[in-house]
Amino acid sequence: MREAYESGIDVSVIVQDGLIEAMNIIGPKMASGEMFVPEVLLSAETMRAGLEVVKPYLSAGDVSTLGKVVIGTVEGDLHDIGKNMVAMMLESSGFEVVNLGTDITPEDFLKAVEENKPDIVGLSALLTTTMQAMRKTVTLLKEKTSNVKIMVGGAPVNDAFAREIGADGYAPDAAGAVQLAKQLMA
Amino acid sequence: MLTGGMETDVLKVLKEEDIRKIHNSSMRVLADVGVHVDEPEALALCEEKGARVDHQTQRVYFSEDMVMRAVETAPSTVVLYGRNDDSRNIVLGGKRVYLGTGGTALNILDLDRKRRPTTAADIARTAQLVDALDNVHFFVIPCHPHDAAEDDVDVNRFFHAMNNTTKPIMGGIFTENGVDRVINMAAVVAGGMEKLVEKPFISFISSILSPLKMDGLRTRILFKSARAGIPLATSVAPLAGATSPVTLAGTLVQMNAEALTGVVLTQLVRPGAPVLYSACPTIMDMSTMSFLFGSVESGIMNAAAAQLAQFYRLPIYSTGGISDSKQPDQQAGFEKAITALMPALAGANFIHEAAGQLDSGMTISYAQYVIDNDINGYVMRAVRGVEMDEDALAEEVITRVAPATGNYLAHKHTVKRVRTEFYYPRVATRTNYETWEKAGGKDIWAKAEEEARRILENHLPQRLPEDVVARIMRIEPGIIAV
Repeated sequence: MREAYESGIDVSVIVQDGLIEAMNIIGPKMASGEMFVPEVLLSAETMRAGLEVVKPYLSAGDVSTLGKVVIGTVEGDLHDIGKNMVAMMLESSGFEVVNLGTDITPEDFLKAVEENKPDIVGLSALLTTTMQAMRKTVTLLKEKTSNVKIMVGGAPVNDAFAREIGADGYAPDAAGAVQLAKQLMA
Repeated sequence: MLTGGMETDVLKVLKEEDIRKIHNSSMRVLADVGVHVDEPEALALCEEKGARVDHQTQRVYFSEDMVMRAVETAPSTVVLYGRNDDSRNIVLGGKRVYLGTGGTALNILDLDRKRRPTTAADIARTAQLVDALDNVHFFVIPCHPHDAAEDDVDVNRFFHAMNNTTKPIMGGIFTENGVDRVINMAAVVAGGMEKLVEKPFISFISSILSPLKMDGLRTRILFKSARAGIPLATSVAPLAGATSPVTLAGTLVQMNAEALTGVVLTQLVRPGAPVLYSACPTIMDMSTMSFLFGSVESGIMNAAAAQLAQFYRLPIYSTGGISDSKQPDQQAGFEKAITALMPALAGANFIHEAAGQLDSGMTISYAQYVIDNDINGYVMRAVRGVEMDEDALAEEVITRVAPATGNYLAHKHTVKRVRTEFYYPRVATRTNYETWEKAGGKDIWAKAEEEARRILENHLPQRLPEDVVARIMRIEPGIIAV
């Protein structure tokens, strides 16, 4: 990265054609099963490290973000691996991500939406028991906010449940979540 | 005859020095890495009993001495009782092998082959089915009743289980007051709290999260259960590569530390409290991040877990007979056979998930229970192994028959032992091709559906007495009639 910068290549080219383009290759390879998740994570890590190198030289407009996503695991649920995976994939695909963590109450999701003004909110639940917390969160966000799209995921969640609780979309895995987020932004 | 509780330990995936290494590493993990416990009362108790506690980070550190004291006070044998039927008791500990169902699925692949969300009626019907299947030795409540109100899920699960089988019942608890309400209900069935604790026919599962984490609700369930004297499995389910190291050895180190944490906590609450060394080691699919149940690695780790439990002289709750396949097919067959056989031949006691489950535990199937009854029959026959008494060696029979007729078929030795020496599956096809074709050319799925239907229409389990049901309905009006 440093070498590229010092050789005089434009920063936006480095980021766009070097980093983001690389992740655009990795996404589909992950979806096809050719690349394993730990390898994808290492790629995302590498991208982030690369971005750190050129960050001081970036100016507004050099990198366009695809949109802003607030993401978290719903109340009563401490699982975070799947949710973090989705956050990382979104980030490395060009989204700006605010990761709230786990065990987030509907009210805290609402607060985060009001503060961060995201385009999309991502909700995660791994337990059958916390699916109801997901429902409550969607209901509250739909009631109190406008324009923000809600996507949901997690082992017990499916498309039918997502529709039933009023979410805007469901994805079965991290690669699918990136695709869905892009669709929701279109 | 095949009966639950036959003993074996012929399979050893760990050498003695391996067990030692895992033990030593687990002890260092518990002492230096510690366990996150999200429950102030538990942190206070651990500190009072001598554990190092960091209240800021909510971490508890257990010394080897403290762990081994708990291993000593925990019972080496835990009996889970049949309801009103001691012939169905299961005596967990040592190298005694039992296989049974597991939970908690959200969907069922019904007899019409359509997949739908499970209901309270499915709990009643799976219990009824299992009640009639000889090679399913206990009933872990297998599914979620979607038609029950959120607060009444636990009482619905346990009521319909108790009302439809006399086999020992175990289940997870999903609500804060669920433990108390289920215990109250079971006490009504037993004829008082004392009688329930004397012969507990229900037991609970409260999970420890990987890596090394206990949340508030599950810690409180553990405490309540241990205080009441109801047997408890503190299920730990590390996912190798995701919530534990990718290596099997590393996952066993962490799993062992987590399983022992469950033992320690129950023994701090009440020394002697009935608890199982609880293991559900699995792996993650590295391309989809799906949780996998039916991997061969899971079979290896569950066999290793049995050896670890035997090392500590603790009864084990283990996992086997599981599959990631979506329907009863070849994949389901080989995954289930391999993952059940490995822990069974290592002498695992309470092998749960070993009936009815498909789809990584998310879907159950009535037909699959019947097929798994056969798989378990094969497994139990393997557990029984080769009897070596003089009559079995049959030297005298060979001497008489071989030089004479050469035909053993009609010999009285054959007649005497023919029903007990072989296992006869219910639904596996063993006829020749033409006979099979004439009978409709059915595969095992279709045959198992017919058998499941026949059992559900004809088998009458010993139901709860009417006055008991009436009393329970008065205190738990949220129980759904099915």
